Amino acid sequence: MISELLVSFSYDYMLKAMWVSTLVGAVCAFLSAYLMLKGWSLMGDALAHSIVPGVAGAYILGVPFAAGAFFAGVLAALSMALIKYRSRLREDAVIGLVFTSLFALGLLMASLWPTAVNIQTIALGNILAIADEDAYQVVLIAAISLAVLTLKWKDLMLAFFDEHHARSVGLNPAALKVLFFTLLSACTVAALQTVGACLVIAMVVTPGATAYLLTDRFGRLVILSVAIGAGTCFAGAYISYFLDGATGGVIVTLQSLLFLAAFYFAPKHGRLASRRRRLTAVEARP
Amino acid sequence: MIDWIALPLSYPFMQRALAVSVLVGAVCAVLSCYLVLKGWSLMGDAVSHAVLPGIVLAYVLSLPLAFGAFAAGLACAVFTGYLKENSRVKEDTVMGIVFSGMFAFGLVMFTKVDTDQHLSHILFGNVLGVTSGDLVETAVIAGLTLLAVLLRRRDLLLYCFDPNHARAIGLPVHFLHYGLLVLLSLTIVASLKAVGIILVIAMLVAPGATAYLLTDSFERMLIIAATVAIASSVLGTIISFYLDAATGACIVLVQAAVFAAAFLFAPKRGLLTGASGILQSNSRPRDEAI
Repeated sequence: MISELLVSFSYDYMLKAMWVSTLVGAVCAFLSAYLMLKGWSLMGDALAHSIVPGVAGAYILGVPFAAGAFFAGVLAALSMALIKYRSRLREDAVIGLVFTSLFALGLLMASLWPTAVNIQTIALGNILAIADEDAYQVVLIAAISLAVLTLKWKDLMLAFFDEHHARSVGLNPAALKVLFFTLLSACTVAALQTVGACLVIAMVVTPGATAYLLTDRFGRLVILSVAIGAGTCFAGAYISYFLDGATGGVIVTLQSLLFLAAFYFAPKHGRLASRRRRLTAVEARP
Repeated sequence: MIDWIALPLSYPFMQRALAVSVLVGAVCAVLSCYLVLKGWSLMGDAVSHAVLPGIVLAYVLSLPLAFGAFAAGLACAVFTGYLKENSRVKEDTVMGIVFSGMFAFGLVMFTKVDTDQHLSHILFGNVLGVTSGDLVETAVIAGLTLLAVLLRRRDLLLYCFDPNHARAIGLPVHFLHYGLLVLLSLTIVASLKAVGIILVIAMLVAPGATAYLLTDSFERMLIIAATVAIASSVLGTIISFYLDAATGACIVLVQAAVFAAAFLFAPKRGLLTGASGILQSNSRPRDEAI
C-alpha cells in the first residue's frame, strides 16, 4: 500500500514535475496576493493567452520559448495601452479584444506548422513531459522572481496600497509597478508550462483570494498564499500520476476546493461564521 | 475572384462550414454590442470556459451536450454572483476563480471519461467537421437567441446603459439581467461546434467594439457589428481553405484586422483620420457623443 503511494517518487520525470510545479506554484501565489487586492485578476488571464503566439513562434524558429513569450507579452501590453488610450472603449473590451486576437494568431501558427507546435500542450500544459531545457528556463524564471519578490515584497506593498507613504520614504511607485508587471509576465510564462494558458489565471488569483478570506494581515496573507500555492501544486502533480495526466486540471481543482472551503469555514470571514454572527445578533436583540 | 470564392463552396463540408460560421458570427455580433456597452466583455470569457464540465457531465449522463453546456455556463454566472455577494473578494477575482475552477474540473473529468469527443474540438472548434444535424442545432439555438435579443433590444439597451433608470421606469431589471446571461450562455453553446470555447470570446467582443468606434447610434451599431461579423466569417472561412489553416482562428484574425482598420481610419475617432488624429493638421477638440 505504502509502496504504491510512493511509486511516483521513484520516477525522475515525476520528481522533476513535482518540484518544478511546487516552485512555480509558490511564486505565482506570491504574486496573487497583490493581484487580487488591486483588482488586476484578469490581467493574468489576458497575459497568459497573449503570449501563446510568442511561444508558438519560438518553437517554430527553435529559440528559447521564454524569449518568444516575452516578446509577445510586450506587444500585447503595448497594443492594449495604445487602444485604451486612443479610443473610447472600456478596458475590459480592450483586454478581451487583444488577448483573444493574439491567441487566435497562436492557433493559426500552430495549424500551419503542426509538427513544431502542439497547441494543446500550450493551452493545457504538460509538465509531466516537459523537456529538460524548458524545465531549466522555468526553474530559472521562477527562482529569480521568487528571490526578487522576497527582497522587495514590502516595497511593493507600500507602493500599491499606500502610494503617499511609499513616496515619502523614497520609493518610486512607477518603477515598482513596472517591476511587478515584469515579474507577472515572467511567472505567466513559467505557469504556462505547468498548467497551460487556460489555467494560469487560477495560479495567479486563487491562492491569494483564499488567503484573503483567512487573514487580515498582508504579511500573513503572503505566507499563507505561498503555502497554498506550493502545496496544491505539489499535491496536484503527485495526484496526476495516478490519473495519467491533466496535471494543470488537478492543481487548479485543488486550489478551487480550498477556496470553497475557506469561503464556508473561514473563522472570521467565512459564510458560516457570518451567519452565526447574524443569528447571535438577532437573538441578542430584545 | 468569383472562382476564388466559388471553388471552396463546391465542397459540401465547406458549404456547411460557411453556413454555421455566418450564423454564429451574426448572433455573437449582436450580443457583443450589448456586452461592450455593459462592460461584460470578460463575462463571455468566464462563461465559455465554464461550459467544459457541463459538456463532460452531459456526456456521462447521456444528455444532449448543448444542454449540459448551457446549464454549466449559467451556473458559472450565478455562482460568481453568489460568491461576490457573500464574501469580501472582488468581482473579477471571483469570476477568475469560478471559471478556472470549473474548467479545471472539466479537464480532470475529461481524462477519466471515455468519450468520442475530442478535447481539441471543444477547445478550438471543428467547423470543417460540422454535420447537417449540428447545423440544424446551431441554427435553432442561434435563431431563437437572435429573435429574443431583437424583440427586447430596447429594454436590454436601457438596462445595459442605465440599470437605475431601467428600474425607475418599471422594467424587470432582474429578469433582464438573467435574460442577458441566458442569451450569452445560449450563444456560446451555439458557437461551440464552429469556433470552440476559447475563440468565441473574440467573436463576443470584436464586432461590437469595432462598431462602437464607427457610430454613435445603437441601431446602426447592431447593423455594422453584424455586417462585420458575417463578412469576417465568409472571408475567414475561405482564407482558411486556401491556407489549410484553423478556420476559427482565421475568422477571429479577420475580425481583428477589421477592428485595427476601424481603430486607425474611423472617420470621427480614428487614430490617423479622426478629428484629433495624426493626419489632421489643425487639431480640434474631439466631439463628445454618447
